[in-house]
Parts: sequence; structure tokens; C-alpha cells
Amino acid sequence: MNAMIDDETLDRQLREAAPYIDDNGFTARVMARLPAARREPRWLRAMILMGMTLLGSGVVYLLSGGGRFVREGVIQLSDFPVWLLLIFAFGCGLVVGAFAVILAIRKTPEVRDLARLRF
Amino acid sequence: MELTDADLVARVLADDDQHAFGELVRRHQSTVRGILRQLTRTDIALADDLAQETFIRAYKNIRGFRGEARFSTWLYRIAYNCFREDARRRKELVGVDEEQWQGEQDPQTVDPGLRHDLMHALNLLPLHERTAVVLCCQNGLSHDEAARVLDIPLGTVKTNVLRGREKLKRTLAAWGPN
Repeated sequence: MNAMIDDETLDRQLREAAPYIDDNGFTARVMARLPAARREPRWLRAMILMGMTLLGSGVVYLLSGGGRFVREGVIQLSDFPVWLLLIFAFGCGLVVGAFAVILAIRKTPEVRDLARLRF
Repeated sequence: MELTDADLVARVLADDDQHAFGELVRRHQSTVRGILRQLTRTDIALADDLAQETFIRAYKNIRGFRGEARFSTWLYRIAYNCFREDARRRKELVGVDEEQWQGEQDPQTVDPGLRHDLMHALNLLPLHERTAVVLCCQNGLSHDEAARVLDIPLGTVKTNVLRGREKLKRTLAAWGPN
């Protein structure tokens, strides 16, 4: 009886025993069976999004009495001490920055995979 | 610069770009078909039918791919599900057609006797061990990725790989020339 081979040799032999399989029309057969692509124009999506945004902004502007609350808010903010405004601005920056980083990580698999790497 | 799988998936999602999907099929067809050939015990026709079904399902459900794993891992999971559903339909797996399988292989890179022995030994393993060995040892998936593909606990994958490897080694050692 032969001596048993090690894991590495076994894995290598398994990989070599299953070489690359030529396409030989396989991809073409798959493509022929795919359902027809949806043809939803991109400009239509963009127009819908833009329209909804403008409509929402208009409604908010009207309901808020012509944006009066913004003016009042700015006036109230100007009464605050400078150090408080600085802290407020810094806090806003941190929150927005944190959201941006979280979104970037969620949307980028390569970045997310870095966390799984073991060195 | 060659586009990554993630870029191609993004194109399919944004524009329903079938050319991009075609490139994904070209890239992964060999591995998917190879895995399915091992799972179906080298029944080429059945494996290729299942591989086609795999890619069509992938296209239809590509919005369900969230990029949490590699695209290939997601694809192998679909392939494994296709295989399981088919096996359930057939109740029992079909037999080995090794002559047909060997006729389609590339020029020899491994001793044909050894290749035959390896494939035969692999086919003797129980399905759960064979699947784990094919994914991890033959196709280089990590245990974690294989656990995702097979939807089983990580520890079970490790055990199946370990047992499968040991059985393969014992079988090959017993068959080898003295």
C-alpha cells in the first residue's frame, strides 16, 4: 500500500484533474435563453426623480409660509454664542461625515472585504 | 483595464446590460460547469443543463445580489440549489459516465491513470463530503465561502472537508502501485 499524500498535494492534483472547460457555445446558449432586457429609458427615471423633488420642495415651501422658518432659524442661530455655533457646526460635520463613511463602506464590497482579511 | 465582476454586475443592474452579463457567464462558465459535473458524477449533459439554469436564474435574480460575498460565491450557491432541486426531482442521482467525461477533457496535464483514480475516488464520497471537497479543495473557496454556498454551519464544512480528504487519501493510497 502507498504512503498517504499530504493535503497540499491532494488539492493540487484535484485542481489539475479538473481543467478549464472550453465555452464551446455555452455562453451563446445561455444568452439566447435570457428574458428580453427591460427598456426603461434612463432619462425617464431622471425626469421622474427631478419632478418629485421639485414638487416636494414646492409643497414644503408653501406649507412653511414661504420658508419663513428658515429665516427665523437663522436669526435665532445668530443670537447663539460663537463657541456654541462652532460646536454645533463641528457636530454636524461629524454626523454627516460618519453617514458618508458608512454609506461608502456599504456600497463598496472591496472596502468591506478589507475587514475580513486576516494578516 | 479589465472590468471587475462588481463593475459588470453594476452595469447589469443599472442598464440591464446583457453584454455585461454575457461577460460574467464567459468568466464563470468553466467553474460552474466543472462543479456541477462533479456533483452530478460527471453527467455532462445534466451538468450543462443545470449550469444554464444557474445563469438564467442569476440574471433574473441579480437584484438580490447585495455584494456581501463574491459574485462567484453567490453563483455557486445558485448552482448548488439548482442541483439539489433537480436531485430532489429525480429522487436519486444519475450514474457516472466517465468515458464521455474523459473524452471532453483538455490535453493531459495529469497522469490519466491518476486523474481517473482521483475522479473515481471523488465519486465514491458521500454527496456532502464530495461537495465540500469540490468547493474548497478543487475550486479554492474558503470554508466560510463554502458554508455560505451550502447554507450549512462553518464547522460542518470543516468536518466534511477533513473527512472527505482523509477518505480520498486512504482510497488513493490503497489503489496506488506498491
